[in-house]
Amino acid sequence: MSVLLDVKEITKSFKLKGHWYHKRKFTALSPLSFAIEAKKTLAIVGETGSGKSTLAKILVGAESPTTGKIYLNGQLLQNQRFKQRCQHIRMIFQDSGTTLNPSLTIQELLDEPLILNTELNEKQRQQLIRTTLQKVGLLGDHMNFYPHMFSGGQKQRISLARAIILQPQVIILDEALAALDPSLRSQMINLLLDLQQQMGLAYILISHNLGIVRHFSDDVMVMSHGEVVESGKTIEVMRNPQHKVTQKLMMSQNFQLK
Amino acid sequence: MNLLDIRNLSIELDTPNGRVLAVDKVSLSIKEGEFRGLVGESGSGKSLLAQAIIGVLNDKWHVHADRFHWRGIDLLRLTIDERRALLCRDIAMIFQEPMSCLDPTTLIGEQLSEAIDSSQLSGHFWQRKKQRKEAVVKLLHKVGIKKHSQCINSYPHQLTEAICQRVMIAIALAGRPILLIADEPTAAMESTNQGQIFRLLANLNQLKNMSILLISHDLENLTHWTSTITVMYSGQFVEAGSTEQIFNKPMHPYTRALVDSSTKANLQLPTKSRLMTLPGSIPILQHLPIGCRLGPRCPRAQQTCVEAPKVSNFHGHKVSCHFPLIRETAKKHSVKHEVVKGTI
Repeated sequence: MSVLLDVKEITKSFKLKGHWYHKRKFTALSPLSFAIEAKKTLAIVGETGSGKSTLAKILVGAESPTTGKIYLNGQLLQNQRFKQRCQHIRMIFQDSGTTLNPSLTIQELLDEPLILNTELNEKQRQQLIRTTLQKVGLLGDHMNFYPHMFSGGQKQRISLARAIILQPQVIILDEALAALDPSLRSQMINLLLDLQQQMGLAYILISHNLGIVRHFSDDVMVMSHGEVVESGKTIEVMRNPQHKVTQKLMMSQNFQLK
Repeated sequence: MNLLDIRNLSIELDTPNGRVLAVDKVSLSIKEGEFRGLVGESGSGKSLLAQAIIGVLNDKWHVHADRFHWRGIDLLRLTIDERRALLCRDIAMIFQEPMSCLDPTTLIGEQLSEAIDSSQLSGHFWQRKKQRKEAVVKLLHKVGIKKHSQCINSYPHQLTEAICQRVMIAIALAGRPILLIADEPTAAMESTNQGQIFRLLANLNQLKNMSILLISHDLENLTHWTSTITVMYSGQFVEAGSTEQIFNKPMHPYTRALVDSSTKANLQLPTKSRLMTLPGSIPILQHLPIGCRLGPRCPRAQQTCVEAPKVSNFHGHKVSCHFPLIRETAKKHSVKHEVVKGTI
């Protein structure tokens, strides 16, 4: 399998207030590199302030890295070229209730990325929206509804539809499963796994629920204070955690893998 | 003796389209020194139930119950003032999002000392101030905050969420309650802090023999800590029993689905395999199904499920289902027969 997304020596630091002769900065990410293949899932776990959300923002293009390069299919992703990036890397957020525009219907919501990024005419766009909604387990007629008419689990499906409508290659799930109720969460996990097989997606899963991480991911990366302290195959890391941070995380969730 | 004994509690809501039965005949009992978990997904009425116990529901809500006793006293017969005096002495509650429950403009120390009743202080009026301060420090030590002077002199936004929740628990403990109701105390908290708060609650339960009602939407987080669990779905009682009974031998199809869909309980499953799940989504309050509210989603639903099932008791394991899941079919008949006899 060829490497889909290749991240090389990314760092991120923020300038803090200080004098001109006494510049201070805060390092959010120390140099880190990783690579993902298609149909694979990389999980990122860590405490708050460990830099996992910063990493997600950099990958999706909301922030630009201080140094380092990101390659997609061997092609360099430039920092300011969002058009190139947003077609291939999409993101789903934690709280789907607040990330959907309440004044737009679902059709208008899903139309936006299509108008901006594709050359399809109106009829083709409508057809595509219909099939995408069916793909995530909703009905085509749902496109005339407003977000408030849906329940929490359905809203999360609409976020997913918005993410996959441009046929991306990488989807970043930033705690996307944390706010869902357990019975809806397992539905969502099943749906995500099906889509991964159908469309050959690569997922980057940011989560602190180790049960989901074990079930869902192939590789795991444990972060602490902007550094990767442990990484490898999920099963191997969980069977035999080496670093203190990993051990503490597993202890706190009473998680034991035989 | 049962501390809290609730039988067939119903809560109705006045809406423009008539009354809606939000909580339908739920029973709950808490013994002294019990650590009970109350599990339900969003919209299951678990927070409503807690608010009904505390008595903070407004006029829109109507509470009826066959029995609503607190240590033998019928709460529904008391006037509001009597009830308030009784409950504020015996029951304390902590909420989710501690940051938003604490007053952001007041120091932690002041908020804590406010909660300490002056009847707990002995001595002359000039000694009171010092005693109050000592009591505050003692409370902070009780919930495991060692840097008390730093904590007393800070505002809520200067502290982390876990410390804030500890302060909330300290405020709740100030009245020396017998029952502590914790309504999702660890929602939106990261796992290491979550563990700390649960451990603190478990310690209070073990060392001080305090009864705790822990409300959560996630079954898998609770099982390590609680001794008994009650499960609710969409305002109806589903199942109650000890943690082992609920987790290892669930009898209700809904509990079974919850356990099966948990990624933590099914570590033997191969990765990326499909999880067991219930079809459909949680019904909203305006469109509740009749009878057993799980009916449309239930894999074992039959025609009789349009009537609400009665609660049957299997050796302390209560389940509300027409077709409970029992492994041995031979046993099923004998047990059912006994139950029928018992109810007559």
